[in-house]
Amino acid sequence: MPHEQLLLRRLRGRPSAGLVFSYVFIIIVAAFCLFPFLWMVIGATNVSKDVSMGKLSLGMALFDNFANLNKLVNLPLVFRNTAFVTLVGTFFTLLVASMAGYGFEMYRNRHRERLYAFLLLTMMIPFAAVMIPLFRIFAKVQLLNSFIAVILPSVASVIVIFYFRQSTKSFSRELVEAARIDGLSELQAFFYIYVPSMKSTYAAAAIIVFMSYWNSFLWPLIVLQTNDKKLLTLAISSLSSSYTPDFGVIMLFIILATSPTLVIFFAMQRQFVAGMLGAGK
Amino acid sequence: MKKFLFVVLALMLTLSVFAAGDKEAAAAGPQKITIWAWDPNFNIAIMEEAKARYQAINPDVQFEIVDMAKADVEQKLLINLSSGVTDGLPDIVLIEDYNAEKYLSSYPDSFADLSSSFDYSQFAPYKVKLMTVGGKTYGVPFDTGVAGTYYRKDILEAAGFRASDMENITWDRFIEIGEAVFAKTGVSMCAFDPTDGGLVRVMLHSAGSWYFDKNGKPFLAGNPVMEAAVATYAKLINSPGTMKTSGWAEWVGAINSGKAATISTGVWITGSVKAEATQSGKWALAPIPRLNVPGAVNASNLGGSSWYVLNSSKAKATAIDFLKQIYAKDNDFYQKILVDRGAVGSFLPSQGGSAYMVADPFFGGQKVFQNFSAYMQKIPSVEFGSYTYEADSAIASVLPSIYAGGSVADALKAAQAQLENAIK
Repeated sequence: MPHEQLLLRRLRGRPSAGLVFSYVFIIIVAAFCLFPFLWMVIGATNVSKDVSMGKLSLGMALFDNFANLNKLVNLPLVFRNTAFVTLVGTFFTLLVASMAGYGFEMYRNRHRERLYAFLLLTMMIPFAAVMIPLFRIFAKVQLLNSFIAVILPSVASVIVIFYFRQSTKSFSRELVEAARIDGLSELQAFFYIYVPSMKSTYAAAAIIVFMSYWNSFLWPLIVLQTNDKKLLTLAISSLSSSYTPDFGVIMLFIILATSPTLVIFFAMQRQFVAGMLGAGK
Repeated sequence: MKKFLFVVLALMLTLSVFAAGDKEAAAAGPQKITIWAWDPNFNIAIMEEAKARYQAINPDVQFEIVDMAKADVEQKLLINLSSGVTDGLPDIVLIEDYNAEKYLSSYPDSFADLSSSFDYSQFAPYKVKLMTVGGKTYGVPFDTGVAGTYYRKDILEAAGFRASDMENITWDRFIEIGEAVFAKTGVSMCAFDPTDGGLVRVMLHSAGSWYFDKNGKPFLAGNPVMEAAVATYAKLINSPGTMKTSGWAEWVGAINSGKAATISTGVWITGSVKAEATQSGKWALAPIPRLNVPGAVNASNLGGSSWYVLNSSKAKATAIDFLKQIYAKDNDFYQKILVDRGAVGSFLPSQGGSAYMVADPFFGGQKVFQNFSAYMQKIPSVEFGSYTYEADSAIASVLPSIYAGGSVADALKAAQAQLENAIK
């Protein structure tokens, strides 16, 4: 931990003005970032009226809010649906994107770069522009109102392919060549050699992909139709537009909905940072 | 390796099972009515009540009431209509009144013409007008956003004003009273969000005017009613008696905490006013002030929505019958939704019912819903056109310059240009 050592060495003497300033700055910024979360926790324990009056202390309404939330939303169902979409979606996205990123980097082909550039170009098209054609396609193949329809369009995520290709650049080609000589097939080389050595890349990508499925809103809104297919984001949104929104209930629901992503992030934070810095070194 | 491929195959199988399940559900038959609406404590809960009542008459009908945010209903509806895919459309959809004409004039064939299915003389005239396009009436009028001024009797009395001082007044008089109340009691007369132009809409509607002319063209610049409305609103915002708030929560918080003495808006705010039980008995209701222009009345509206049947519905006849049996017939239903949900419907025969006659101790024994019912019948009919929200944001963008004392006519010219640009 070189950063901490550096910090300790600097702290041994009198803290410099610069250091004090940067800490004050960091604390202010952190306060701005953390306040909404604090507000969310406080809000979840208060009745709606107190939330709107700006009460800043914990209230007694947490259990009432939970009871009301339970009345309005089928919590086990939306959590189960969201978990299913997120886990299956993350699995397939990582599989497809890592294979594609690996393939783009490891196999030479005359059209490789052109194809890759074309793939990157598709990132420039805003989702709004492809939404209606996509909707028509899924209607044609009778997949509206299915979780396949939610997952399928984002399985070949260009940004994740790009990330895997960049990370694969630091993966040593010799490992795979040695594996080939030892008689491993291409798929075996991928699964037995590449995947284990890229663990931190997978972890970082998993967090990002997990969050994007967990928080996905617009596309699920359009393709999912019945109450039994409802996802968390859709359920939260449906609570927000009313003549008299119940802020306490909404805050509590948001805490419940964001905590799994928080847990995942903190559990995988180290791999995430390592993955971002570059794996395979 | 084999194990891995097995896992992949198993996952794919699971997925396809999920997909197959849907098709069966969709083919369950024409006796299922799917409804899209928003607001779980209001529209959704009311539809659940209607469903229970209809199932007592016709037990074979199944319902799927899908609860989404209002913006989500609109987005979903728009994508389904514009993609030409009817599989995903519901049988009945709730559309906000301000946006009704947008859908009805853009996709007239997608909605069922109900002109001959309902006796529209039994509904509030202004509601019927907004869902009539090209001589055809499409919807079933539902809740009204009839406006009123809720005020704190105790605070106004402390400043020397009586109930009769709040009746039949103009906004200019309201501002005068507000300044006197603020000077004497230190309590703000009212709270408004300067970035929100909702009250401009209320003022326009009270004068029977809107952002558009008869042909649906933007009519902001050179519209005398429009000029009066924004000038009055700016005067109200700049008045020392007005507390400036930001966002919905702070606005409602202002009255709950006793910092503001009145709130002038749609009847749907009743529940939020009554949320502060310690203020029970201190509140009263008066008609909304009117705009100081010829023809303006002390009655207006903010919000409200109505039910529409889709032409693509496989259970169209049942859907229409459902709306007819409940929303155009069942008086008792309207009493129940008023008591349980604070919903004021626009079906006139229901408003003589017992729930409308209740003297509410929170309002010092005033029969507020009877008052609202009387106000509702005076609301002028206007055509909302297709771009109310675009016009709203054009007005909101020029309001700051009017607050700062700029020329109203110039600001409205700028707003007109912006609106024309936005809807081109």
